[in-house]
Amino acid sequence: MAQNEYAQAQTAQSRAWSAGEKYLFRTAFIFFIICCIPLNIEWYKTALGINIFDLHYRDLYDIARFNPSFVRKWFDIKVDRWGFQAFIDWLFILGFALVAATFWSVLDRGRKEYNQLYYWLRVIVRYRAAVGIIAFGFTKFFPTQMPYPSESLLNNNFGDLTGHKIFWLSISIVPWFQVFTGVAEILAGTLLFFRRTTFIGAALLVGTLGTIMVVNLAYDGGVHVYAGYFVLLGTFLMVYDFRNLYRLFIQEKFTVPVHYYPALDKPWQKYGRLVLKTAVIVIFLPVLFYYQGINFLYDPYKQPAVSGIRELRGFYNVTEFKINGRELPYSPLDTVRWQEVIFEKWTSMSYKVNKPVSLDLSNGGGDPMRDIDRTFEVSGVAGGRRVFHYQADTVHHILYLRDKNTASIRGAKAAFEEGAGKQKQKPEDNWIPETSLRYIKDEATAIHPLAISDRRIKEYKRLGEEDYLRPKMKLQYSTQDGNRVILTGYNEYNETLYIVLDKVDRKYAVSESSLSAGRYD
Amino acid sequence: MSTTIPVNDISTGQLSKSELAAWNTLQKVSFRFAFSFVLLLAIPLDWHYYQKVFSIDWGNLYYGDIFTLARYFPGFLTGTESFADLFFVAGIAGIATLVWSALDKDRLDYRTLYYWLRVSARYRLAAGVIAYAWLKIFLLQSPAPVLSELNTQYGEFTHWKLFSLSLGAAPVYEQFLGWVELTAGILLLHRKTAIIGAAILFAFLGNIFLSNLAYEGGEYVYSSYLIIFVLIILFYDAGRIISLLSLEKPTVPNLFHPVFSPVVAKLRWVLKGAFVLVFVVLYGFKVSAGAKENPHNIPVAKGLPGISGVYDVRDFVLNGDTIPYDPLHPVRWQQVVFEEWATVSIRSNREVVLFEQKTEIVNGADRKKLYDVSGVIRRHFYWYDWDQGSNVLKLANKNPNHSEDVFELIYTRPDDHTILVEGRISGNQQIKARLERIDKKYLFKEGRRTPQTL
Repeated sequence: MAQNEYAQAQTAQSRAWSAGEKYLFRTAFIFFIICCIPLNIEWYKTALGINIFDLHYRDLYDIARFNPSFVRKWFDIKVDRWGFQAFIDWLFILGFALVAATFWSVLDRGRKEYNQLYYWLRVIVRYRAAVGIIAFGFTKFFPTQMPYPSESLLNNNFGDLTGHKIFWLSISIVPWFQVFTGVAEILAGTLLFFRRTTFIGAALLVGTLGTIMVVNLAYDGGVHVYAGYFVLLGTFLMVYDFRNLYRLFIQEKFTVPVHYYPALDKPWQKYGRLVLKTAVIVIFLPVLFYYQGINFLYDPYKQPAVSGIRELRGFYNVTEFKINGRELPYSPLDTVRWQEVIFEKWTSMSYKVNKPVSLDLSNGGGDPMRDIDRTFEVSGVAGGRRVFHYQADTVHHILYLRDKNTASIRGAKAAFEEGAGKQKQKPEDNWIPETSLRYIKDEATAIHPLAISDRRIKEYKRLGEEDYLRPKMKLQYSTQDGNRVILTGYNEYNETLYIVLDKVDRKYAVSESSLSAGRYD
Repeated sequence: MSTTIPVNDISTGQLSKSELAAWNTLQKVSFRFAFSFVLLLAIPLDWHYYQKVFSIDWGNLYYGDIFTLARYFPGFLTGTESFADLFFVAGIAGIATLVWSALDKDRLDYRTLYYWLRVSARYRLAAGVIAYAWLKIFLLQSPAPVLSELNTQYGEFTHWKLFSLSLGAAPVYEQFLGWVELTAGILLLHRKTAIIGAAILFAFLGNIFLSNLAYEGGEYVYSSYLIIFVLIILFYDAGRIISLLSLEKPTVPNLFHPVFSPVVAKLRWVLKGAFVLVFVVLYGFKVSAGAKENPHNIPVAKGLPGISGVYDVRDFVLNGDTIPYDPLHPVRWQQVVFEEWATVSIRSNREVVLFEQKTEIVNGADRKKLYDVSGVIRRHFYWYDWDQGSNVLKLANKNPNHSEDVFELIYTRPDDHTILVEGRISGNQQIKARLERIDKKYLFKEGRRTPQTL
C-alpha cells in the first residue's frame, strides 16, 4: 500500500504542465526578470564608478538598491509617490509581460514544462531579494537608519511632526529593537542564499517587509513600493512550495517533494557556481558588515558626524534677547524673539521662534556625506524650530552658521538656476574671512581616519548652489563656565543680535539607550 | 544539464510506522510535563481571576468584561503577572509529572491526550489574541493622539507612551495589526489551519514581547505566556515542515484523527459555536458599540460647550503678583488645553511624579481611564465637573500620585476665545489667569503630501 501511495504521490507532482500554467510561468518569467535586473544606465555607471580599494558602505548599498521604475521617466503622466498609485510600474510591467508571454506561447508551442527555467528564475529572484534586503537590514543592524533623536527633536511637540517622522522616531528611541529588526532582515536574506532554507527566508521576508509596506502606507513614509517589491519577490518564492504544503497540511496526504535541480557537474559549472555564490555572500555579509560597522561607529549616515564644541553643548533658556539694540522680553507668541537654544553634540545649533517657515518634508535620509546635508533633525518637523549647521573658529570664538533647511530657499534656488544659464555666477564661497578659515577644521577629514573615503572627500569639494543661498548667521560666543553663554553678531537679515543664554538641566521622560552611533568626544 | 530527484531511502512504510509507533520514555515523560504545564496555564484556576469574573454586571455587559474574561493569567504566586508565576506553575507541573509517571507506567502513547492538549492551547491562545484584535480594529487600544498630546514635547513622554501614541497616530496600521491578529486567531479554531495561525502568531507575539522589553511596557510576561501556547502548536508540525521544505524528503502527514463519541461530537460543535459566538461575534459587536459610546481610553463626560482648544496663558497673577511669561517659573502656567470631554491639562514646571499604566486596562468608568495621564511629564491632567447653572469648575488631578491635587476655579468667558479663571490651587496659592485660545495647525494633520509653511 505504501509503495503504491509513494508512486502516486510522485506522479501527481511531476506531471506535464497545463497550458494555463505554462502561460502563467512565461508571464512570471518576463515580469520577474524585469524586476530583478537593473535596467537603467545610472546603476551601471554607479557600479563601475566604485573604487573597490576605498569602499564606503553606501557603494554596496547603492548596488543593492534598485527596483523597476520607468513609467514616470518614459511617459508624461502625473503619478504621485503616495498611496497605491505609486505601484503603477508594476502594472505596466505586468501588462508588458502578459503581451510578451502571448508571443512566447505562440513561438514555443511544443514545450511540456519549464522546470529548469523555473529553477533559474528562482535563483535570480532569490539572490536579488537577498542582496537587497541584507543591504537594507544592515542599516538597522547597526542602528543608523533611524538615528536616535537629536535634543532639538526631543523638544518638539508631538503634533508638530509628520506621520513619517513619528514612526521613524518611534524606532529611533529603541536602538536595540532596531538591531533586532535588522537581524530579522539580514537573516531573511541569508536564508535565501540556500535553496533548502528559501521558503523560511521568503516567509520571513514577506512578514517583515509586508509590515514595513503597511507602515509606509499608513504613515506616508514613501518607501512602500520598495518594501512591496520584496513582498512580491518573497511571495513568488513561497508559491513554489504552496502545492506541497497544501497537500501535506490541509489534505493531509503523503507528500513527496519533487525538485528539479540542474546537475552542474562540468568543472567550470561547479567552480563557477562556487565562486559566484561565495563572492556574493562574502561581499554582502562580512564585507558589508565591516563597512556598515565603520559607518555606525564614526560616521552615522543620517546624523552629522563631526563633533561640536564641547563647552557649548546643552539646552539653554534665552534669558536676554536684543535685536538691533532693542530688547524683547520672552513671549511664546513673539515672531522674532528666540525661545530656547540647543547645541547638539555635533555641529548643530537650533532655536525656537514663533514664526512659520517652509518645511523640509523629506525623509531626511539619502546618502549625504556633508554634515550640513544630513537633515534628519530638521526634516518633517514644524513648530518654529530652526536648525543651523555651524563651522567654528575656536580661536576667535566665532560660529559661522548656515540654515539646514533648504525648503525655505527653494524659490531662490529656482530663480538662480534660471539665471545660471545666462551668466555663471561664482558661488560665494568666501563668506568666511581668511583670518577665521585657518582655524576652522576641515570637516572632510575631521572624523576617524577609517571612515574617510574617496566618496566623502569628493563630495566635500562640491559646493552646491543652495550653499550660498542658505540663510547665514555669524555669531561670536563667550562663556566662562558653559552655564552662561553670550552670543553676539548678525542674523540672516544682517540685524545685530545680543543674546544671553543660561543652561537648563532639561529632564526627559524618554530614557537614553546604551547604544549610540557616532563619536563626539 | 540533467535533473535529479532526491529520493529518500527510508521506505514510506517505515515512516508511517514511526508515526504510529509506541512512544519512548523520554517522549512520554516530556508529554506528561507539557500536558500538566499547559493545562495549568490555560485553565482558569487562579482565584484572583474569579474576583474579576464575579464583579461583572452581566445584565449590562461592557466589552471590557469579555476582555477581562479572555485575559486570564495564572498569577497564583504574585497575584499580578510575573515570570515567577510561570516558574511556579512549571514546578507544580513537574510534581504532577512525577506522580503521573509513577501511576501510569504501561501506557504506549498519549496521542489522544496530545490532541486535547493542542485543542486547549489553540483555544486559549485564540481567546487571548482575539481579545486584543478587536480593540485594535476599532482603534481603542491606542486612540488617536488628543489635543494635549499633540501639544506635548516628544521627550516628555516615556517609551511606552510613545509606542502607543505612534500606533494611534496611524489608524490604518493599527487596524492592519488587528486584522492580522484576528485572522490568526480564527485560523487557530480549525485543526488543519492552526499551524498557519500559530506561525503568524509566532512572529506577531514575538514582536510584541520584544516591543514590551524595548519600550519598557508591562506585557512582556503575558506575551511570553501566550507564546508558550504558540510553541506547543508549532512543535507538533515542526518536524513535518523541516522534512518537507528543508530536508526535501517524502513526508507523512498527520495521521491522528480524533474519534468522538456521538455525545462529544455534538458537544464539540456546541462549544466551538459558543466560543465563536462569544469571542468573535458578541465581543466584536460589543467593541464596535463601545467604540462609539464609551471607549475605554477616552472619557465620555462632555466638557464645557465650545471650549475645546489650546490656550496661551496671557496673564497670570499669583497671590496678587502679576507674573510675566517665564518658561522657567516654578508655578506659572505655560499653556492650558481643554479637550472636547471634561478634561483639562495644564502645562507648567510644577513637578509631575510620573505615573505609568503599562498594561491594557479596559474599564468603562471615566474616572478609571488613565491613558492620557500615563507616561507624561511637565503637564498635569484634570477631570473637571461643571454644571449649567454655576460658573465653578471642580478639578481633580488624574495622576494617582497627585490625588490630593483637587481645587475649584471660578470661570468667566467674556468671548468665545477667552477664559478668565480664578481660584486657590494646590499649595494654597491664589491665582488668576487670562487664557487666550491659539489657532494652531498641526503638521501631523496637514501631512507631507503638499508643501507646508508652518
